[in-house]
Amino acid sequence: MSALSRYRVPVGLLVLVVALRPVVAHQWLLGFGQIATSMLIWMLFVAAFNLLFGFTGLLSFGHAMFFGFGMYGVAIAVARLDLPFVVGAVVGVAFAAAFGNLLGRLIVEKGEIYFAMLTLAVGEAVYFVVNRNPLGLTGGSNGISQNALPPWVETFRGQKSVVLPFAEVEWYWVVAVVFLLCMLALWQLLRSPFGRSLVAVRENEGLARAMGMNVDRYKIASFTASGALASIAGVLLEINTQGASIETFGVLTSGDAVLMAVLGGVNYFFGPVAGVFVWQFTAEYLSSFRMLNLPTTELALVSVDVSGVLQHWRFLLGALFVAVVLLSPKDGVWGALRDGVRVAAARFREVRR
Amino acid sequence: MTVLGPNESILDPREAALGTEGLVRRFGEVTAVDDVTLAVPSGELRAVIGPNGAGKTTLFNVVTGLLSPTAGRVWFEGTDVTDAPQYERPHAGLARSFQSNELFTEESVLENVRVVVQTAEYGPFGLDLFRDAASVGRERAVEILDRVGLDAAHDTLAKNLPHGDQRRLGIAMALATDPDVLLLDEPTSGMSPGATTKTAALVEDIHDSLGLTVLLIEHDMDVVLSISDRVTVLDQGRAIATGPPEEIRTDDDVQEAYLGGIREEL
Ligand SMILES: Nc1ncnc2c1ncn2[C@@H]1O[C@H](COP(=O)(O)OP(=O)(O)O)[C@@H](O)[C@H]1O
Ligand SMILES: [Mg+2]
Repeated sequence: MSALSRYRVPVGLLVLVVALRPVVAHQWLLGFGQIATSMLIWMLFVAAFNLLFGFTGLLSFGHAMFFGFGMYGVAIAVARLDLPFVVGAVVGVAFAAAFGNLLGRLIVEKGEIYFAMLTLAVGEAVYFVVNRNPLGLTGGSNGISQNALPPWVETFRGQKSVVLPFAEVEWYWVVAVVFLLCMLALWQLLRSPFGRSLVAVRENEGLARAMGMNVDRYKIASFTASGALASIAGVLLEINTQGASIETFGVLTSGDAVLMAVLGGVNYFFGPVAGVFVWQFTAEYLSSFRMLNLPTTELALVSVDVSGVLQHWRFLLGALFVAVVLLSPKDGVWGALRDGVRVAAARFREVRR
Repeated sequence: MTVLGPNESILDPREAALGTEGLVRRFGEVTAVDDVTLAVPSGELRAVIGPNGAGKTTLFNVVTGLLSPTAGRVWFEGTDVTDAPQYERPHAGLARSFQSNELFTEESVLENVRVVVQTAEYGPFGLDLFRDAASVGRERAVEILDRVGLDAAHDTLAKNLPHGDQRRLGIAMALATDPDVLLLDEPTSGMSPGATTKTAALVEDIHDSLGLTVLLIEHDMDVVLSISDRVTVLDQGRAIATGPPEEIRTDDDVQEAYLGGIREEL
């Protein structure tokens, strides 16, 4: 194997963080780059979810809770308890890992359907508790928005930056570095002996057990790692949105993770990346689109106001989702892209000959 | 040697490589395994025969811990393993193949075997996060695939293998656990006569050159007669006879059990 193909995931990730912002900011696309930061955060969250779903075969309908744990860990520490950001982040992530581990121990042996239902139920229970504003910590339905940023984050005209002792760094690049480190860790996890065992469990649980794998322990470990990773995305989201919002804990957030993963292609490392990109890009594009000018904007012969239709972007995304699932439920957008590239490459080779 | 009837065994099941004592398994009204006492001495190649629905697969399932027994005990190399978790048994040296083609379908042939070698190395749960799995257990996986004749199919996805090769891959995976006792559930089912002969030779080779104790569920009487040391006949869940293949073939009780069944073949 050549070095490039061996390390194509790290190379791909690097290209992604460098190219994502300029690409979405291009005038033919969105024309602004802020959304790239939130895309990276969501990509990490959905990739964490997909460690469990795509690579272990366990569908969690309550993954928003881990996103929320990271987010509220930071927000509660910084805004309520006057503790350093790091304390909140570490406690939030550790709590998510411990919660995933304990919950896994309780429900992992119950079977697929029950796992999905029980994660949904526990996610709802967590939402309920956070919404009750226990000890005045979570702010109930208002969330936490006052003084929720650590002192080293500066906001200037809506652009965040992080003040380090030696320099000031754009917030995007801080997110990009954390994203890269986490995704590389995930990549290494998946190619390690441990990761290959998870895939075996996904492929055929009964066979894995008959061949000597303690399937339940692998599932619990995967749930733990997935929860921890998702909560790191939550930590980033707290700073990105300058606080914690109860919506993050909501069932819609959990559902979006499922939909984005499937849309992108659950069998692929880059599936969640593709899914989040297509989802958020489409949502943003459609909701900012007003006039359809044909044939071009400069030379418009026909102008149609389509905002009335396109503001229903959730409906259109839903239709796209259904199409993808009907065409190929496990391959998604990324799988289609890979196939497309493969076919094109084969054609190209033929033509050259 | 003579033919032994129900609940007579060659030696004490507790001292056998694999033994069962009064093993029973019910599914509601159906008694799939009915008071089976067996003792397979170390190094023997034992065929298990019987009409469809006799309880052969269920016997394997209970012995390997996929199902728990309704009553009775399972002994493995002198230890009572009746209550041991299923995933611990391959590590103790008790492995099996399945009657249906159970595979890691979306993975390559090599990876199917490699991940089992890896499991034998790490035990029931391995949390090695830092190595590249592709190099862990690869050599041994290649060796095993050579032995079963799948050396040309390393990169094929398991689901794309022809049926006969899938059966052989199942044997390869069981071998990858590095067993002392190997249970094979109809390894030749669905194979052409040529492939059947080849697979029978493979089973014999595994038994002879690796020195394994083998339990073999097999329908092809030619295979049974040519390679087994002893045969146990199961009928309606009961082990009605155990003995050398030639004597089993001519035994009256066995003929009786097979009336209208596969008598002609016997
Ligand atoms: N999981 C199960 N649930 C209910 N009945 C079963 C199950 N497995 C096997 N049986 C029944 O037990 C009997 C023995 O089946 P099996 O062990 O598969 O026989 P064989 O392998 O000898 O053909 C059959 O009557 C079958 O229907
Ligand atoms: Mg059977």
